[in-house]
Amino acid sequence: MSLDYLMDIARPMLEGAQTTIILFLIAILLSIPLGYCITLLANSSIRILSWLAHTFIYVIRGTPLLLQLLFFCFGLPMLPVIGEYLVMDRFMAACLGFVINYAAYFAEIFRGGLLSIDKGQHEAAKVLGLNKWQTMRKVILPQMTRVALPAMANESITLVKDTALLYAVAVPELLHYAQTAVNRDFTIMPFVVAGVIYLLMTLVLTLFFKALERRFKYE
Amino acid sequence: MTMIEVSDMKKTYGSVDVLQKVRFTVEPGEVVAVIGPSGSGKSTMLRSLIHLEEIDGGSIRIGGESLVEDGRYAAPSVIRQITSRMGMVFQHFNLFPHLTVQQNLELAPKMVKRENAALIRSRSTELLAKVGLADKAGAHPAKLSGGQKQRVAIARALMMSPDILLFDEPTSALDPELTGEVLQVIKQLASEKITMVIVTHEMNFARDVADRVIFMDNGEIAESGTPEQIFGNPQLERTRAFLKL
Repeated sequence: MSLDYLMDIARPMLEGAQTTIILFLIAILLSIPLGYCITLLANSSIRILSWLAHTFIYVIRGTPLLLQLLFFCFGLPMLPVIGEYLVMDRFMAACLGFVINYAAYFAEIFRGGLLSIDKGQHEAAKVLGLNKWQTMRKVILPQMTRVALPAMANESITLVKDTALLYAVAVPELLHYAQTAVNRDFTIMPFVVAGVIYLLMTLVLTLFFKALERRFKYE
Repeated sequence: MTMIEVSDMKKTYGSVDVLQKVRFTVEPGEVVAVIGPSGSGKSTMLRSLIHLEEIDGGSIRIGGESLVEDGRYAAPSVIRQITSRMGMVFQHFNLFPHLTVQQNLELAPKMVKRENAALIRSRSTELLAKVGLADKAGAHPAKLSGGQKQRVAIARALMMSPDILLFDEPTSALDPELTGEVLQVIKQLASEKITMVIVTHEMNFARDVADRVIFMDNGEIAESGTPEQIFGNPQLERTRAFLKL
């Protein structure tokens, strides 16, 4: 096995990894704030909003991500009446699916974080005159984030690996190019290379979250 | 002007009356200790004064302004304005664990009063010195003992320059050897004529620091008077029983 061969197969795979990384960034940057909003809705005192948020979480968590991706990529355009306006680029459709799916999981993580915060924190903020928004931003959110960080790290790493599902909706990415090379050259080396690239990506994430956890530690 | 005026305060949880016909006044500069058995409604009464609990009937006036009149609460903005005249110290301190001691003190003045940062810094430094914790300004609450935490909590409440300070069992969560340092700080505030209502189990402290003692039992004020009257010559059998006289 020559180094030249490895370079040859690695090049398209690294290009595929770009798609993986772009999907990852879009999904993580949009699903975290969206998940946070869903948590706020779920905790809302307005019953219908809370019910909607819980139902959303239940439906998304209760069905396979692959099914959701197929639905967004191929199902949406088949909807009556509005379907023709929902035809979009398959990569965009997949991004939408990932954002919605991960938002539901992040919402649950944040909800757990909120539950872990003592009622006394809200009371202390209230008697000091902080309004709801100030309390959320300055008192609750920083503490919630610390509690949620390990679970968020876990979710993010899962997301890197889930990007391989793009394969099923025929958007070329890292795994797609590996599979192509395997079929063409009759060697499993491309799979090994793909594995190493995934490991590198998750390693970066692992280190990133470790650093974040250290930053959020307050002793 | 009377600082706190409570009349016919009433609160029920389901069919249980936790507070009934509670009526008392606190004059400016007065220190009132509230004693009584667990479940007598002392904490609920105190928390109602600063709107952490809502009452179902009666009136509360703070500095002449109505927080609630005959069971009807003022508008939210008025409630905020009235409760901003009070500070509260909790049994479990409720410090913000993600902030340093000094940040704990400065958060509310920065966010709520939007005062000048230098002014806030000089006051927080001064108050930390006052409670004997000047050297802990940069520490996080987790690094402090219970007594130190409670002194930070008192300084944090003082940062907002309240007219009235409420204490909800400030030493109940502390190891016995740490209560002294907290009580010392409260005593000093009493000597500075800050109006205070203190729910406490420390009878010696109540006798020492209070101008007036209120004994609560079963959601009502059973007896009230000077410390000499309550501790020396209580009129009611249940007061005697509680004080084990």
